[in-house]
Amino acid sequence: MHIVVTIKQVIDPLVPPAHLRLNAATRQVDAPAGIAPAMNGYDANALEEALKLVGVHGGTVTVVSLGGDSVRDTLRRGIALGATGALHITDPGYVGWDALDTAHVLAAAIARYTPDLVLCGRQASDTDAGQVLFGIAEALGWPVVSPVRAIHSIEETGVVVDRLTERGSQKLLVALPAVLGISSEANEPRTPAVRSVMAANRARIPTVTRSELGLNAEEGRVVLRRLSRDVHDSHAEIIAGATPAETGAKLADALHAAGLI
Amino acid sequence: MAGVLVFGEAVAGILTPASLEAATAGAELAAAVGQPLSGGLIGRNIGDAVAAFLGGGMSTLYIVDDLQFEPYIGERYAGAATAVIEHVAPSVVLFPHSLNTREWGSQLAARLQTHLVTDCVRLDVDGADVVLTKPIYGGGILAEYVVASTPVMATLRPGAFAASTPGAQGHIVPLDIPFIPARVTVLDETIDEPPSGPTLRDAKIVVSGGLGVGGRENWRLIEDVAEALGAAVGATRAVTDLGWAPASQQVGLTGASVAPDLYIAIGISGAVQHLAGIGRAKTVVAINRDPEAPIFTRARYGAIGDAREIVPAFVERLRELRA
Ligand SMILES: Cc1cc2nc3c(=O)[nH]c(=O)nc-3n(C[C@H](O)[C@H](O)[C@H](O)COP(=O)(O)OP(=O)(O)OC[C@H]3O[C@@H](n4cnc5c(N)ncnc54)[C@H](O)[C@@H]3O)c2cc1C
Ligand SMILES: Nc1ncnc2c1ncn2[C@@H]1O[C@H](COP(=O)(O)O)[C@@H](O)[C@H]1O
Repeated sequence: MHIVVTIKQVIDPLVPPAHLRLNAATRQVDAPAGIAPAMNGYDANALEEALKLVGVHGGTVTVVSLGGDSVRDTLRRGIALGATGALHITDPGYVGWDALDTAHVLAAAIARYTPDLVLCGRQASDTDAGQVLFGIAEALGWPVVSPVRAIHSIEETGVVVDRLTERGSQKLLVALPAVLGISSEANEPRTPAVRSVMAANRARIPTVTRSELGLNAEEGRVVLRRLSRDVHDSHAEIIAGATPAETGAKLADALHAAGLI
Repeated sequence: MAGVLVFGEAVAGILTPASLEAATAGAELAAAVGQPLSGGLIGRNIGDAVAAFLGGGMSTLYIVDDLQFEPYIGERYAGAATAVIEHVAPSVVLFPHSLNTREWGSQLAARLQTHLVTDCVRLDVDGADVVLTKPIYGGGILAEYVVASTPVMATLRPGAFAASTPGAQGHIVPLDIPFIPARVTVLDETIDEPPSGPTLRDAKIVVSGGLGVGGRENWRLIEDVAEALGAAVGATRAVTDLGWAPASQQVGLTGASVAPDLYIAIGISGAVQHLAGIGRAKTVVAINRDPEAPIFTRARYGAIGDAREIVPAFVERLRELRA
């Protein structure tokens, strides 16, 4: 079983949006100083699923990431968690908004490994786009299913998964090779042992450039025009009574007077 | 023919409310750019949904009603949608945002090699450009995108756009789609027991509880308020993690996005991941013992104190007022 897990490096989602800095000129969002970037949470779930699968079936897990030099730290974490190998893809033109362009680069790298399965996150926590996995599947000509909340088993005929729907879930058999978008319900990712972290620090992570993958720059499909803060006016009118019970009754009266109930 | 094409969504033969919202947004966009509006609806036994969707004001509604589209398989829906798009050759394609549309819509976009912006909350026309706005970073920041590839594609967040009253009736064009082989087989389908009362996503009033409710044994307080108001019940992740409420009631970044007229948050601190799910709530009311709780920066009305003492009297007065 050969599994490739795509991993995007993101700003730690625990940073409150109010602390993020918007750069109007570059249209980039920057983390406050001193905050280390993180592995996209759903990608951590995807990696955990991959590690569980090779634990049962044997095989290898390769983590791949497209981005600047800092993504090497996130790939190292993937190795510390148990990935067999990692690939860092660089592209001087990478901005991250153009999902299909990103997908084409990742698919070209993935194709080199001829995996049985590609596990992605259902979406990245920065843009919540959920697009790149579909671009990868299209480029490779493979089926794709998302969001996957459980991988049940690998059968002769494919992989059996649970996919979330608005009303519940569906149990699906997906022919291999395939691309799956993993959701957080799938598992609780493990934390790496200190010894594994130290070993991962010595691991060799190869780098490949976009042009080495034989790809030319693409015409941009999408432009991020403007970033702004999603502000709500915030003047809570405090309703107070002499006792908590009176407060409760007065609150109901206030909502009634405002025509809200 | 260029134009705006809106796909609707039928679940168990019934049109989702978000479909009519998308149709209304599509109609406004079509009017603004002086192009026709068409619709698309895919499924099986969708007669009632077709009638409802036609009220969205499209001049032509393309329907694909066939055995192969039940149960839902993304690949098949993307295949049928490709055929609709070949007929219409639209410049803009809109979908109501759901777990299914974000799967087959994205497959469709990848197949057409165009860019899809998911979960949009605003559409604007600026000269020749359609500007698509969506919340990013869990909801604290808005990003405005312009798509250069065609067609421009977007899924629209339920509740972010108003649905207008049914408009003029257009005509229906049924399309015959040859059998689409799929590499995905449905083995089983589970439908969760729907909660009694309105669903979280569609409810006009949502009453949510957090850890401040104080324990599973007090959860009844939240349900009492919801019952008195005919509201849906929501919860924070902290609460669903503890099992006081089912995971399906979780509101927030990794739960449901809600868009009620009134959102009542009881014993909820207002963490950014929770606020991400209530960005479209019109009026927020908070009951919390801590006047510094971040929920008050989002609330229009607040009450400060112990929820276990405030809420029973609140419910009693609500019942009197609604009687
Ligand atoms: C990646 C990620 C995704 C997440 N997704 C979600 C999500 O989708 N939804 C979500 O809700 N959370 C989510 N969270 C968790 C979120 O960060 C918060 O931990 C959670 O929302 C807190 O829930 P709470 O408000 O119930 O609890 P707390 O933060 O503990 O707040 C309890 C509040 O109750 C008040 N209180 C205490 N006692 C009383 C009393 N007797 N009467 C009145 N008030 C009282 C306190 O003052 C406090 O404000 C996510 C976190 C991460 C990292
Ligand atoms: N630059 C990247 N490098 C590696 N994987 C990525 C990258 N961008 C997106 N992905 C993968 O695609 C998934 C969906 O991303 P997105 O379409 O950006 O929401 C992520 O969860 C990742 O698994």
